[in-house]
Amino acid sequence: MGFLGNLFGGGRRDRSASVAKQRLMMVLVDDRYKLTPDMLEQMKIEMAEVLSRYLPHVDSDQIEVTLLRGEANDHLKAEIPLKRGRDE
Amino acid sequence: MARVITITSGKGGVGKTTTTANLGTALAMRGARVAVMDADIGLRNLDVVMGLENRIVYDLVDVVEGRARLRQALIKDKRLPELCLLPAAQTRDKDAVSPEQMVYLTNQLRTEFDFVLIDSPAGIEGGFRNAIVGADEVIIVTTPEVSAVRDADRIVGLVEAAEKGTPSLIVNRIKPRLVNRGEMLSVEDVIELLAINLLGIVPDDEAIVTSTNRGEAAVYDQHSLAGRAFLNIARRLNGEEVPFLPLQDQPGVLERFFGIFGRRRT
Repeated sequence: MGFLGNLFGGGRRDRSASVAKQRLMMVLVDDRYKLTPDMLEQMKIEMAEVLSRYLPHVDSDQIEVTLLRGEANDHLKAEIPLKRGRDE
Repeated sequence: MARVITITSGKGGVGKTTTTANLGTALAMRGARVAVMDADIGLRNLDVVMGLENRIVYDLVDVVEGRARLRQALIKDKRLPELCLLPAAQTRDKDAVSPEQMVYLTNQLRTEFDFVLIDSPAGIEGGFRNAIVGADEVIIVTTPEVSAVRDADRIVGLVEAAEKGTPSLIVNRIKPRLVNRGEMLSVEDVIELLAINLLGIVPDDEAIVTSTNRGEAAVYDQHSLAGRAFLNIARRLNGEEVPFLPLQDQPGVLERFFGIFGRRRT
């Protein structure tokens, strides 16, 4: 990425370090919990299904699930953005 | 009371042997009686890294099988009389020694030294298990690369399963400039991924190549950043509070734009 990319806060592609971190997160979830990326995607879809019974504003593509490592326990963190629902 | 510390990594080539040699030397420079043991049976290397390859008469397997006494197999360092190497056998394989024999051997070393540092082989098989079986503490060395971090995570699980406590972490070969550009995992990233305590950060340093070529520890080189980092880790092992070296050199605005042309700071 050229310096113009730096100047305007990121370019078309994510920096490789954050790509590496994201990939590692997924791999470590798989290694430790036998939860494959496919299963994780399926989990997101099903989460969206359940949530949409209560909130019609959830898009499964937008759900982000990350693993947080802790000394004693690991956590799965789900970020679920809601589409603005004022018009509906 | 001696402390037996195993240095391991999972992945090969991340700097276990260099770390063992430098920490052993640094601890001995600070007055401790130190034994470094090469547990990589069949792929002996700690001797050449320490420049002691010409002095080997007996090895670890000779001691275990009773052909030599421990005293006969221990090689004194060239400069530091309180630093000794127990070399691995080169012509045998990892099955030549049993876990019980390793425990017996490390307990023998405990009586004569303040620190026993064990250089573990790569991998998760018998050689690795032998290397940790007699240890009180385990240090994991990793580099900021996906493969090394992934393997380190496996090792954390295995060390905990072996009831050796949570290992501590050395992140080796950090390139601050790449980290600043967002093109290398940062130390913070690695800690967040592995969730273990940080013991040290060792910057990537060409001086390691030259010191290894000569069979001298980098901790003797005042100008080596990696050498200074290893000295600091040795002090932390001794219980001192030592701040981490400032790696994230703050580049100026121009330098940030033209990073690769910027002068290297030390």
